[in-house]
Amino acid sequence: MTVRYGHGAVQVGARTVVRSEVEDFLYAEADILDSWHYDAWLALFVEGARYEIPTTDYRGGWSPHESGSFVTDDWDLLRARVKRLKSRKAHAENPPSRTHRLVSNVRLFPGDDDDSFRVTASFVVHRARDGRFDVYVGRYEHILAVEDDGFRFRLRRSVLGHEALPVGARLSFIL
Amino acid sequence: MPQVSRDETAAPMIIEDWNRLTFRVNRAAYRSDEVFARERELIWLRNWLYLGHETEIANPNDFKVRTVAGRPLIFCRDTAGEVRAFLNSCPHRGTVLCRDTEGSSKLFQCFYHAWTFRNNGDVAAIPDEAAYESGENLRETMRLRTVPRLAIHEGYVFISFDPDVPPLLDHLGDAADYMTMIEQQHVGGVQTLPGVQLYGVRGNWKLAVENAMDGYHFAPTHNTFVGYLRENGFAVTDDDQYAYNLGNGHSLLVLTGHGGRISMIWEPRFGEDERVRTAEHRAEMTERLGERRAHHVADESHILYVFPNLLLFDIEGMSIRQLEPLGPGRTDVRAWQLVPRHEDPASRALRMKTVVSFVGPGGLATPDDIEAYEAVQRGIEATAADPRPGLDYSDMSRGMADEVKGVRGRSIDEGAMRGFWRHWAAAVGFDPQVAGDRPASFLEGRDVR
Repeated sequence: MTVRYGHGAVQVGARTVVRSEVEDFLYAEADILDSWHYDAWLALFVEGARYEIPTTDYRGGWSPHESGSFVTDDWDLLRARVKRLKSRKAHAENPPSRTHRLVSNVRLFPGDDDDSFRVTASFVVHRARDGRFDVYVGRYEHILAVEDDGFRFRLRRSVLGHEALPVGARLSFIL
Repeated sequence: MPQVSRDETAAPMIIEDWNRLTFRVNRAAYRSDEVFARERELIWLRNWLYLGHETEIANPNDFKVRTVAGRPLIFCRDTAGEVRAFLNSCPHRGTVLCRDTEGSSKLFQCFYHAWTFRNNGDVAAIPDEAAYESGENLRETMRLRTVPRLAIHEGYVFISFDPDVPPLLDHLGDAADYMTMIEQQHVGGVQTLPGVQLYGVRGNWKLAVENAMDGYHFAPTHNTFVGYLRENGFAVTDDDQYAYNLGNGHSLLVLTGHGGRISMIWEPRFGEDERVRTAEHRAEMTERLGERRAHHVADESHILYVFPNLLLFDIEGMSIRQLEPLGPGRTDVRAWQLVPRHEDPASRALRMKTVVSFVGPGGLATPDDIEAYEAVQRGIEATAADPRPGLDYSDMSRGMADEVKGVRGRSIDEGAMRGFWRHWAAAVGFDPQVAGDRPASFLEGRDVR
């Protein structure tokens, strides 16, 4: 097997995007989510973006329009999700889960158009609530648009590494 | 868990009082290891249990591996096309035979000693078979162990570990027709899709049953989801909606004010194109099923509970939910999307988005239900072994005042839960403590055939 290197930078139109700036973006997002700043989080998306969490039986290539999912939010649902999470009546997240996110193994790939690129990364999210501690492990498969003032999610996808969500490990927060 | 020295099951499990119009359930029912062990023996090993849907194993040689009632099973379609359920355990020494979760295979081979079986259960090969010249017909005695009973209704595959259960349709009773109604929604029927929600909750399995039969919680628990629907032009109402006991522990909520139904009842968030498709499909249904039947099939949302482990949500879209208890306070949940076999791609995409927006551990509503099961499971520790009488009981009296007047039970009452608990108590051998007479006008069942 040939090991492919060279995912530390990617060309997007005239701009060269390097790993460190994408890492900074993902770290900033993790911090925003760990602080429950949902409006700031929504501002990281382009209008019309999607947020997806496939089920644990997911095999690459499935369309969320033709299969079941844990989350398949279009722009309307994504905004509804953020509005819900900001409400005191989102009982599953009131009080909110304490989360702590680790992001690593960031790799960049060319996108399908000239203003975006794909990024994959590994995540570990620890969640504490109700005297319990749950761990979620998986891989991000995002599409980021390059805008004048930085990156924005066009697709934010979290693919779980579990065989099934463990007992108690719901997805009431943003994974 | 606090240590409880006395026997929690000594107090009555159910106290039903028709003089005071109260119905109370002993919280040990959710908490006790002894109750859990009795349930395993007297409910899970003696009833029909939902195993899976035929369309999960659509083609010959398809298989899924699944644990039901704690027993690892192989759910497969053999090479000849017949649906089978085997214990996933090598007859030789008990090793888990199939360690994949799903796939397609004519043979199952145990890795330990390479005993090999066909997917109809026949022994295909035993290495060095000549060493077993004991006079016994080894190949016959070492066939794959089947689950004793298997029967299918409308594609829903049920099994029983008890060879002597009555026929499946006797068990399903009035619940069977609501499964037929789902099949009748579309020409060509329905199928499951890949993308199965596998998750677990820190709550007793009966809390998940109660929650599904409890319309009372909808407005307060799902406040944010109701708000989302309202913003999109749909006003949720609980008026004129009812709950039914269907016998044998099964129950039904009939909901008409909780949201649209993809391809049957349009609501604004579905969009204009879907409005046209809905009108066409609804007209086709009247033509095919007749006006009355089409009304029941199309215009009502149904939440059907089939005792003990199956919930069918025929609401905005359709989904199957299977409960697998792991212990008194832990339950695995599996949920499949159920869709028309032949469906416009735009409707299918809308369906996937809409169903997932509500149901599942990542939806906008189910997480609040899970919060409820888990908060109850934690909260009922507070009254465990409390010496004051009656404190360690949960109240499910809502609607009894109407029941004595012969008024039909509303979806926002607790009559469906009471029916479940009565059946449960009888099944596990706890005599309910009953005071007064249950009213003669007591209404049960619903028949729309």
